[in-house]
Amino acid sequence: MNNNLNIDNIITINNASVIYQKDNLITHALTQVTLEIKRGSFIAILGRNGSGKSTLAKLLNASLLPDIGEIFVDGINTNDESRAFDIRSKVGMVFQNPDNQMVATIIEDDLAFGPENLGIPRAEIRERVDWALKTVGMYEHRLRATQKLSGGQKQRVAIAAVLSMAPDVLILDEATAMLDPRGREEVMDTARKLNTEKHMTIVLITHYMDEAVCADKIIVLDEGRVVTEGTPIEVFRQVDLIKKAGLEFPTPAEAAFKLKTLGYNIPVVLTDDELVEALCQLK
Amino acid sequence: MSIKVKNLSFVYSPKTPFQKIALDDVSFEINDGETTGIIGSTGSGKSTLIQHLNGLIRVTKGSVKVCDIDLTAKRPDLKRLRSLIGMLFQYPEYQLFADTVFKDVCFGPLNFGFSQSEAEECAAQAIALVGLDFDEVKDKSPFELSGGQKRRAAIAGVLACKPQILVLDEPTAGLDPAGKREMLELIKRLKGDIIKTVIMISHNMDEIAEYTDRVLVMDNGKLIKDAPPRDLFSDISCFNNTGLKLPHTVNIASILKKRGIDIGTPLNINELVFNIKQALDGVK
Amino acid sequence: MRDVAFGQFYPADSIIHKLDPRIKLILMVLYIVGVFLVNYFFSYIPVAIFLLIIVFSSKVPLNKVIKSVKGILLIIILTAILNIFFNKSDNVIWSWNFLVVTDGGLKLAGKLALKLLFLVVGTSMLTFTTTPMGITDGLESIMKPLKALKVPVHDIAITMSITLRFIPILIEEIDKIIMAQKARGAAFDTGGLIKRIKAFLPVLIPLFVSAFRRADELAAAMDARCYNATPNRTKLKELKCMPRDICALVISAIFLALVITLPIIWKVLQLPLI
Repeated sequence: MNNNLNIDNIITINNASVIYQKDNLITHALTQVTLEIKRGSFIAILGRNGSGKSTLAKLLNASLLPDIGEIFVDGINTNDESRAFDIRSKVGMVFQNPDNQMVATIIEDDLAFGPENLGIPRAEIRERVDWALKTVGMYEHRLRATQKLSGGQKQRVAIAAVLSMAPDVLILDEATAMLDPRGREEVMDTARKLNTEKHMTIVLITHYMDEAVCADKIIVLDEGRVVTEGTPIEVFRQVDLIKKAGLEFPTPAEAAFKLKTLGYNIPVVLTDDELVEALCQLK
Repeated sequence: MSIKVKNLSFVYSPKTPFQKIALDDVSFEINDGETTGIIGSTGSGKSTLIQHLNGLIRVTKGSVKVCDIDLTAKRPDLKRLRSLIGMLFQYPEYQLFADTVFKDVCFGPLNFGFSQSEAEECAAQAIALVGLDFDEVKDKSPFELSGGQKRRAAIAGVLACKPQILVLDEPTAGLDPAGKREMLELIKRLKGDIIKTVIMISHNMDEIAEYTDRVLVMDNGKLIKDAPPRDLFSDISCFNNTGLKLPHTVNIASILKKRGIDIGTPLNINELVFNIKQALDGVK
Repeated sequence: MRDVAFGQFYPADSIIHKLDPRIKLILMVLYIVGVFLVNYFFSYIPVAIFLLIIVFSSKVPLNKVIKSVKGILLIIILTAILNIFFNKSDNVIWSWNFLVVTDGGLKLAGKLALKLLFLVVGTSMLTFTTTPMGITDGLESIMKPLKALKVPVHDIAITMSITLRFIPILIEEIDKIIMAQKARGAAFDTGGLIKRIKAFLPVLIPLFVSAFRRADELAAAMDARCYNATPNRTKLKELKCMPRDICALVISAIFLALVITLPIIWKVLQLPLI
């Protein structure tokens, strides 16, 4: 184990690169990524399609190993293949399509899959399953068929299915992409609640800027490199960089930016309410 | 007018315990040249409605007329109907099947009775129209394309049939911000050039506000509102129970109004900024 | 397509749902053996009673059960028709050119159709009342002795369970693809057999592509949830044989015995063997 690791960090990425070889062409999926993720923080990862977001996510739960560099999850090096399952039980991952990540027809059976794989004793599985269902607000549905749920409910079940492994980190890999606005809100509320009430570390990969603004820290990837990281305000202040990375601004941030170029003294804002507040200050 | 729907109702699994009313007495007309948005939460009847428009669901109650084709007729000319009204379902890239992009795009025109050379000409035009490089992609397998390119290829497959009306079910779902923007600009361009009428289902209110001339709001199978976006969003009372959200620009305006600043109902970012500027300058 | 109900679980609170899946699997085997042993129409009486008891005590709505037959009705009818014409025994009832219908053929066709009908309804009662996970657990438990022979019992069982879970999803997918291709002018109901089969390629290829994509994603999700982490997998729900399971087994055994012995009773009573 690396002695220099800061124990405040649940995840530390040291100079990691992932290289693919296709038709004699070498392409870098990720280039020299160095990141620290603090315990209990809420991280958003932004970037256009193909920028390396999902590759990065795969590194975090040891389903992909870096060609160069190393990743530590709670002090465990992901290159240590004998610990792969320890890492996966610490880093839960929820994917885009809710239908393609459930193995069982009945909700509570699906939740049991993870802890069963880990060989957890029966009584404890029962406790964990019930706890996870209550946490995402699906306890009363536990005996229903997964197929009959709405998109948002399905993703909440997928989150619960990961929670039942008692992870430290929850990665949402574009988990809201296929949902309608109501479903997205359900998933985001659940993620925020887990972060504030259960102090779970959340890594949110998304294309929706207004989901990212509630994060503690945003990481922007482009062409496999981290091009910037910082608080939402720090990141969305960098107008040219955001545009170059193929991202967009939350509407209030863009309005504020345009007003600023028109000569008004408006700070960087992220939400509708903040913009209104700033405008009222001006008046 | 190009589309006329009158008292249309539809029930899934009628007279069983699983009976579900999908459409309940829906009536509207869509004129040539309009871009119409259809909004409503999941299960509100949007998909059932558009499936009626090109005869994928038979009209059981009420009537539907598209151009001069009466869908309540005993044997409506479905082939001509479907060549008139191009339909793109959600995630249309999942309908690609041929071994090359070119052949896939030719599939529609050939089905509609175009000659081989006509079909190839239309396909080549359509591929260029959606912004793909014809020489680069034509012999590629559609499965080799990137996500955004696949969706464009699927759109080309519909455009190659030379439809007059284009119906799109959530055309931007799953795309990244740049891809979304490009897709909306593409639709806007098509609308000006080769398509007369566009109907677009979307969950994204910002898109609806910015890109449509008219909005149909569906809720529980009923058409609860039919208005231009500005009228729709200036009276937000009907939004309360539908689970729909306001576009950001309108939401900002409505919060400002509560604070005593009236900037009207801006539908896009430029209007928003312009209206704010006027309000601020007026105060000064 | 959406009407296909075969292989889907119907949640309800009934004694049949509560039975140990292992017992249900054994019952199904007994039932299939019973149906195959039937040689006379009258022997279907105990089978029908047995099946009706199961259907009604399962609380699965009757139209769901009927729908499960609908899916293979065509196969049943075809089998029956073929048997009517190809079996030429006993008395000719009707003939036209080369087509001959005999009473033997009619009887055989009727029996076969009934046999298929009873098999389908019976087996779909298992899937209606048992979750795929239940079937998986049951199979795994029954096959446990095979583990010693290095048969990957758990993998087989989970594969089955996933297959059952994805049937309705793929059926919905077929619906969507058919609609999309119809909108591009594809016609599935005209032309000869070859043409129709060819017309289905634009449906089959996207379906396969999608199935593989789903398989990929599912595999990633299962890995992320520590599939195969330990050979000592535990279970949330332990299968336990309750007194009701034993009762069910005994009742079924009695029915099976009845089906087997009924022709003998019939003979003793000198009733007509039809």
